[in-house]
Amino acid sequence: MSIKDVLSPFTAWKNLFRDPVSIRDPLNRAAAPRYRGFHQNDVAQCIGCGTCEDICQNGAIDMVPVEGIATKQGDSGLRPRIDYGRCCWCALCVDVCMTHSLSMSNVYTWVDGDPDAFRFTPGVDKKPWDDAALGYRRPEEHRLTGRVRAPMGEIEPAERIDSFAEIVDGYDVAEAQFEADRCVSCGLCVATCPTHMAIPQYIKAIRDGDYDLGVSLLYESNPFSGICGRVCTHKCETTCATRHEGEPIAIRWLKRHIMDQVSVDQIKRVLVKPTAPTGRKVAIVGAGPAGLTAAFDLAKQGHQVTVYEALDQPGGMTRWGIPEYRLPYDIIDQDVDIIRSVGVDIRCNARIGTDITLDQLKADHDAVLLGLGLQLGRATRIPGSEHADVRKAVDLLRLATAGEPIAGGTPREVVVIGGGNVAMDIARTLARLQQQAYGEVKVILTALEDRAHFLADPEEIKEAGEEGVIILDARGPQQVVVENGSVTGLKTWRVKAIFDEQGRFAPSYDEADAQFHPGSMVVEAIGQMTDASLLGDAMTEQLAWQRGRLQVDVGGRTSASWLWAAGDMVRGPDVVSAVADGHRVAASIHAALQEGIAK
Amino acid sequence: MTMRELYDRTKALFPLGELIEQRSGGNNDLVFVTVPAAHLRATILHLRDKEGFSHLVLLTAVDWLEEGQFQLTYLLNNRQQAYDLGLRVMISRDSATMESIHDVWPTAATYQRELREMFGIDFPGSPRIEEEFILEGWNDIPPYRRDFDTLKYAQEKFSERPGRKTHDPETHMRQQLYPDMSPTGK
Repeated sequence: MSIKDVLSPFTAWKNLFRDPVSIRDPLNRAAAPRYRGFHQNDVAQCIGCGTCEDICQNGAIDMVPVEGIATKQGDSGLRPRIDYGRCCWCALCVDVCMTHSLSMSNVYTWVDGDPDAFRFTPGVDKKPWDDAALGYRRPEEHRLTGRVRAPMGEIEPAERIDSFAEIVDGYDVAEAQFEADRCVSCGLCVATCPTHMAIPQYIKAIRDGDYDLGVSLLYESNPFSGICGRVCTHKCETTCATRHEGEPIAIRWLKRHIMDQVSVDQIKRVLVKPTAPTGRKVAIVGAGPAGLTAAFDLAKQGHQVTVYEALDQPGGMTRWGIPEYRLPYDIIDQDVDIIRSVGVDIRCNARIGTDITLDQLKADHDAVLLGLGLQLGRATRIPGSEHADVRKAVDLLRLATAGEPIAGGTPREVVVIGGGNVAMDIARTLARLQQQAYGEVKVILTALEDRAHFLADPEEIKEAGEEGVIILDARGPQQVVVENGSVTGLKTWRVKAIFDEQGRFAPSYDEADAQFHPGSMVVEAIGQMTDASLLGDAMTEQLAWQRGRLQVDVGGRTSASWLWAAGDMVRGPDVVSAVADGHRVAASIHAALQEGIAK
Repeated sequence: MTMRELYDRTKALFPLGELIEQRSGGNNDLVFVTVPAAHLRATILHLRDKEGFSHLVLLTAVDWLEEGQFQLTYLLNNRQQAYDLGLRVMISRDSATMESIHDVWPTAATYQRELREMFGIDFPGSPRIEEEFILEGWNDIPPYRRDFDTLKYAQEKFSERPGRKTHDPETHMRQQLYPDMSPTGK
């Protein structure tokens, strides 16, 4: 060992007293314009879908609640918090961000002695680079999810106008997989669905080609999946994260696809089997979505369930209100058949109050549920509307389903009053009947609302127009004109406003703008109400009511301890809301039966 | 000379795939063309010695997992003409091996070492090909292979800072918006 080897460690000490060799950045240069530095997040744009967390290959992102940002429909209220100890600045999170809210500033120099300072929520925890103009923004061509839906095949207007054949084709496997691939599985839609279906999970089942799993997920929350796959109001699609990028996922059509792919036997095989009989008996009045959903749940829980239906076939408004070209009857039959398979006894042609009394139901059962629906059409009460050729849409739709002719024949020329989906349904049904009988369509639809505020679904309005229905907006019905005992048409005024300054329904009209719409029949399609006459005077008097509807608690129980009510008659018209209500009420009845206090 | 003329001339000698003009507009000075693995050496020697492509800009790979293939891209540059020509060679992903070109361009040895480490593509005879390149002590499948699960690796190898907690959006929304509702009626 040389003397130098011994001394050199000590000579190094002299460096302690020298100026450092390194120099401060003399230029104070900013990074390149598109440098990937610390994140920026526009938290007002962000919807907390967590797709950034999902794609991060380093597990650097947590979704965290933020004070002042509420959870609401379409926004989880969570925001991404980034751990820069793990971030590798790859920007996949920026490229996948569904709302464009996440980006990266070009600032990357930051010194802090506390390692936890490098874990923060961009846009919430204020940073100097929050407003930096430069940095990495997703280039237009970087899109990791598809913006456009798998197109849906439909029968062309000319071909469908004289037929009640189903218009929509449905997706085949390749189309469904393409559409399912666009879903980022964020689950924001689940809160919006009234019955909270396992949407991301069943879409994943489509991606994986696992239809057994898919259909068992559907049946966990919705025994009307075949029907909802076709006619659901699909509110879920209004909060889908992909709507920020382009078209929302076609959730309804994907549900339908699962139902189209599986056989009835396959569905019955995956259903949860009923538990042992409890010896409790439940009567359900009305075989519509609410009643049958409750029946399905209660039967699986071992209760003996009997459903009494006044008409000759089950399905309620899905059968008697929705036209066949939107919902073929065999789809209803299939859903009902599966509900029957868990032990639900459905008795048709059994009208309560006529065939059996409500008192008898009460005497023979531990609980009674009313799911009556909204089967009476509301009247306009305008002059002339008492004429026999002024009909209610729901009545005519019921005739169409039954295949019975309209008294006096299909009108050659007809005027429909109303701008909702039921108005579209009857207008399009009459258009088909006219085309079949006379080879031409003469249907005029007059709506109170203007085009911008139409109540009917946009596709209904579009398709009705394609089929030759003339749609007139902002027209207020004034009088059904009757000459020599026959209806000749409808007189309308232009609507100036539907609501008054307090927001109450009080249409005001421009009387100078009057029109006459010729027609030998006028159809009222302005809303429905419940026929609750089966209750009888004494019960009607005894029960508590609220604004014409039976008053119920959150579980659907009326003021009588043995009586529940569910569906459209308490919630207003909507299939999937009725299904959700059916579940809710079944849970309430089940709890009451278990406690043995139903009576 | 245009790239198209060069391509036509070279295609008469070697079984080249179709010409892909990457940089449209201007003078089309970046093109790609596929060539069978067995013809790569002859093709690059010809391009280097007869066509002025004196420089290997880079050698890289793409993992076409679904097709079971690796794509090697040899990017050559003609300094005089300022042209870039990329030769693409498809090789099988199983026991992926390619002839070394370190004797044509010595710099290729470095690229080949990197490809061996990151993709697991072997170049027998290439200098120091067996030595670790940048991944010291690597004991997993090569990380640029697409079946390498980066997230799983990151979670196994790197500890999390204490105090981290995440929330699933769907579950969080249920707790906030409809905590008492059981959709299944169970």
